[in-house]
Amino acid sequence: MSRKPMLLAAEGVNKSFAGFKAINDLNFYLEEGELRTVIGPNGAGKTSFLDLITGRTKPDTGSIKWEEETELTHLSEYEIFRLGIGRKFQTPTVYTDHTVFENLVLSLEGSRGVFASIFGKLRRLERERIFDILKTINLTAKAEWKAGALAHGQKQWLEIGMLLAQNAKLLLVDEPAAGMTDEETHRTGELLLSLAGEHTIVVIEHDMVFVRQIAAGRKVTVLHQGSVLCEGPVDEVQNDERVIEVYLGRKHRHD
Amino acid sequence: MMTPFPPPTPKEILARLEIFLICAGSLLLVVFLPLLNISGTIDNYTLNLWGKYLCYGILAISVDLLWGYTGLLSLGQALFFSLGGYMMGMYLMRMIGSLGQYKKPMPDFLVFLGWTELPTFWKPFDSFLFAAIMIVLLPSIIALVFGYLAFRSRIKGVYFSILTQALTYAAALMFFRNDMLMGGNNGFTDFKFILGQNLREPATQRGLYIATAVLTVGAFLICRWLTKTKFGLVQRAIRDSETRVLFSGYAAANYKLFVFVLCAVLAALGGALYVPQVGIINPSEMWPDKSLEAVVWCAVGGRGTLVGPIIGAVSVNALKSWATTEYPDLWLILLGGLFILVVLFLPKGIVGIPGMIAGAFKRAPKEEAPAEPAAAEPIVKTEAEA
Amino acid sequence: MMNHQVTKAPSSGKLSLLLGVLLSWWLILGASAAPPREVIANALVAEDVAEQAKLVGSLAGQADPLIPQLLAKWKESEIYIYEPTEPAGPKVAVLFVGEKDADDKFAAVRVDTGEPLKDKDGKPMRLTTDEATSADTDANLRLAMKVVLDLIAVADPDPAKRLKVVQQMGLDQDLEKLPALEVRVAGEPDAKVQRALKEAIALLQLKSEDPAKQIAAAKTLATLGSIPAQDALKTVAREGSPPVAAAANAALAEIAKHLQLVNTYGTVFRGLSLGSVLLVIAIGLAITFGLMGVINMAHGELIAVGAYTTYMVQNVFGPGLALSPFGMKLHLPGFGATGAAYDAYFIAALPLSFLMAALVGLVLERGIIQFLYRRPLESLLATWGVSLVMQQLLRLTFGANNVQVDSPAWLSGNWTFFDVIFGWNRVFVIGFAIAIIVGTHLLLTKTHLGLLIRAVMQNRQMAACMGVPTERVNMLTFAFGSGLAGLAGAFLSQLGNVGPGMGQDHIVGAFMTVVVGGVGSIFGTVISALGIGVVDQSFQQILGNPVLGKILVLGGIILFLQWKPAGLFVTKSRSLEG
Repeated sequence: MSRKPMLLAAEGVNKSFAGFKAINDLNFYLEEGELRTVIGPNGAGKTSFLDLITGRTKPDTGSIKWEEETELTHLSEYEIFRLGIGRKFQTPTVYTDHTVFENLVLSLEGSRGVFASIFGKLRRLERERIFDILKTINLTAKAEWKAGALAHGQKQWLEIGMLLAQNAKLLLVDEPAAGMTDEETHRTGELLLSLAGEHTIVVIEHDMVFVRQIAAGRKVTVLHQGSVLCEGPVDEVQNDERVIEVYLGRKHRHD
Repeated sequence: MMTPFPPPTPKEILARLEIFLICAGSLLLVVFLPLLNISGTIDNYTLNLWGKYLCYGILAISVDLLWGYTGLLSLGQALFFSLGGYMMGMYLMRMIGSLGQYKKPMPDFLVFLGWTELPTFWKPFDSFLFAAIMIVLLPSIIALVFGYLAFRSRIKGVYFSILTQALTYAAALMFFRNDMLMGGNNGFTDFKFILGQNLREPATQRGLYIATAVLTVGAFLICRWLTKTKFGLVQRAIRDSETRVLFSGYAAANYKLFVFVLCAVLAALGGALYVPQVGIINPSEMWPDKSLEAVVWCAVGGRGTLVGPIIGAVSVNALKSWATTEYPDLWLILLGGLFILVVLFLPKGIVGIPGMIAGAFKRAPKEEAPAEPAAAEPIVKTEAEA
Repeated sequence: MMNHQVTKAPSSGKLSLLLGVLLSWWLILGASAAPPREVIANALVAEDVAEQAKLVGSLAGQADPLIPQLLAKWKESEIYIYEPTEPAGPKVAVLFVGEKDADDKFAAVRVDTGEPLKDKDGKPMRLTTDEATSADTDANLRLAMKVVLDLIAVADPDPAKRLKVVQQMGLDQDLEKLPALEVRVAGEPDAKVQRALKEAIALLQLKSEDPAKQIAAAKTLATLGSIPAQDALKTVAREGSPPVAAAANAALAEIAKHLQLVNTYGTVFRGLSLGSVLLVIAIGLAITFGLMGVINMAHGELIAVGAYTTYMVQNVFGPGLALSPFGMKLHLPGFGATGAAYDAYFIAALPLSFLMAALVGLVLERGIIQFLYRRPLESLLATWGVSLVMQQLLRLTFGANNVQVDSPAWLSGNWTFFDVIFGWNRVFVIGFAIAIIVGTHLLLTKTHLGLLIRAVMQNRQMAACMGVPTERVNMLTFAFGSGLAGLAGAFLSQLGNVGPGMGQDHIVGAFMTVVVGGVGSIFGTVISALGIGVVDQSFQQILGNPVLGKILVLGGIILFLQWKPAGLFVTKSRSLEG
């Protein structure tokens, strides 16, 4: 039986911080082209997991394989980035002292070497690509603004734009809708859906409306206490008793 | 949509004004000051003083490129400045020939230490070319090794500052030792010739001044160009959020290493020109205080700009020249006080004053001084930088 | 013990006999009832030289200060023998005193009584040098005298003085001292002196002509682990016959082993004391830098404040102090205390140094640092400005030169144990460092203020929300850290120079200590300070050069940070969200 190649495979991953087990024997598999949503209550280990994938922290034990051959746990952040793994942080993390345009220049795919950065010129095609992205994220008018001066939602968009500029194979999107209006949230969902297939995407999200929008008919992973509680289609997961107990039971409070 | 952002005219005017000012300043330093000296309007002493200030200016630029642009506060730049000076000093010592006090064909202090023959590592310094190569090479190698180790283990912020300070402290201790064969306490002095020219001749000193002015302008232009490339963008990105830079795929360590080595070379060149103009180099030049002083110049002038350090170096040193003769007892209090005031009330330095005044009159868009990493940040953080 | 003794002496047989006599006298100490001056007088007038030697020898072991005086005069031929003629009487030993009169006559004093010599009418007599013959000495007699004199020297009632004399005798390599040492060794009550005596005897026996004795001596020296014997052993190893040389070499190897052990202990001790100094300096930094995140470059000057406070307190206890800051004339009157009362100044100086530095720290925090929390690089720069200002103020007030701070008597002695010298000041610093650490630990963990401090350090905003007066806590914490610097200064005044720039000598090392220990960890600072101290001293011991050692330590620290970039003990925190 032929199966799709595994893009990311995390096996037996453990990580604790000062005695607190943030990730507990986590196993997680991702096929190429998937749009996977990861949900879970606070402290479930969602962001810690992204930290481990992107090399921000190293696991105590376990392996995370990329395309079934590269061991990510041995690489540093920028090497992992260069494999084609991009990340949008939970709180918008943009270069506040740079302009919106410069933020995108910094994120644009291409050589990251010291000398290339000194002697390289921004080609016309690249410039056009940036304008395209600016249009997509609705920031054309603010291209020369300092990113720090943007509103919270706009920063979220800019960071998504940076992810687009990078043209990564795998997009790790941590709570993209936080701080956005309902309409913006919806547009974000549409953008992510349009990227699905071409890119593999992992979305971490709290907002269940948003989750239902992007996860319809797709696999959802529920994390709890640092390991996978259950996995399956969104409706199935929502009706899983364990999930209701640990997660949805609390969630409907502010639904 | 032909040109999506037509550059606003005031901006263009400002850019032209900037270029005009740069040209005017360069001409003033490189051409007019020496001409005024030839015509006798400026005496030799003053021109020599300016040469010294500009050497400090180059040192200050190197501090600023590290601190103001990359967020690396090096408290060891004076080490590279002194190393450049020492390499030049070795050449100058050899040029004394047998005219020293002991009338021996090698430096007096070696005779005094009982050496009858020149130590091997001194021999190639008969050649100016070799000395020139060493002026660049030695500081580069030290900066490369130290920087590699420091950046590899992600030492940043104040930790980097403390380590660079320790480095220059260790080096100073080493140079104080006589068996280093670098003149110990007294260092090198009593130079006589450079490239066959008598150092006491005003023409020679004028030549050295012009070389310094050219180097200052050159350093300024190179740094200006560098900071306007994508490299400059990465540099500032590292300053503001190094962790984020890693997640943009840049090996921040390589960038920092490049800047560190470049700045070491800049400082060394400044030091190499400094020594023949002041006529002495000794280990006190690499004492931790000296590096901090260079940081003061940079902060007073305005960090994160490239004219700032030059203005700062020249003005603080001019103030020093005046104060140390008029109020020798109060100079250090003045310097310290100046520094406290600048840090507290003038974060953008002298260069920032017009902006502050303008800001006071009209409500300009809020621009803050470059952010710094948060307090007591562990060297390796586990929290998101945001 | 009779038969393995002296070799190269005037006449060995006679000497043995003499020693036998001496020893018997020694053993029945106190049996000689006659006062020493009478014994000497009798010896002087005795006809037989052997009798003379015997009588002199009988003085062995007595400590009367008259003995060395009289014997010295005898040796110099300054004692005269007068034989009364009218009426004829027994010979009398006399000393001539005072000036010659017009008839070339001197006043004469009897040796046996110390009274003036009287004629038959009971009138004091005056004599010319011709009327009496000067008493002379022969080799045997002189030897007997020497033994008596040496024994007096090694019989000093103060064991410390005795020890010095014995050690010197061993090093002098004067074979004639051997008998005295051998006599003394049998009765010496003090263990240390006993050991020194054995060592000295063996040292002297090394020069013996009898190879068997030389070998035995070498063995003794080896078991004693005698460090001062190395030179003598080396000579023997070079010049002696093959078996003797072999024994000497074996002994040398044994001593080298012992020496290495002693050096190791010494190095560890010095390292610990240096580490304690570092610790006392760094603990203040660990609080202001480690806990508060403030890089206080003026920490070194706070140390100087503490040291100068000690200096002022010392002068207030003593003669007073004249200061001239900015041309003003200030005079601090002093109590003029001396002795133990003066030495007590240091006790008073400790709390005052703390308070003074804490006060300066408080002003610094309120004036500058409170505006720079969360801007560590800028606080570094501003406090450097402060450090310049303070240095200059100190210079203007107290002068640019180092000032003299006396060590109290109870801090300036030392104690030797197993050949390792323990200076009391160093021992005290170690104890003091322990006290400071315990105190700081208790303050942070057991007091209400400590609880608040820890709360603010962990999360300033949260603490503020919970109603913790963060401003006051910051202020007090900074003042406390500064006060500790002041205490360190009081200590450094006992160990090194006190001058306006003294802080600068220690600041780099202190920062490194905190960084190596792991910022924010007091325990890490302790381990790191002691570690750096011991490593520093070891390098110094191995390289024989303090500067090279220091450089290596700095290099080592840079490499260490490669391995553990966050220092020894990191307070790990888990990430933002799980």
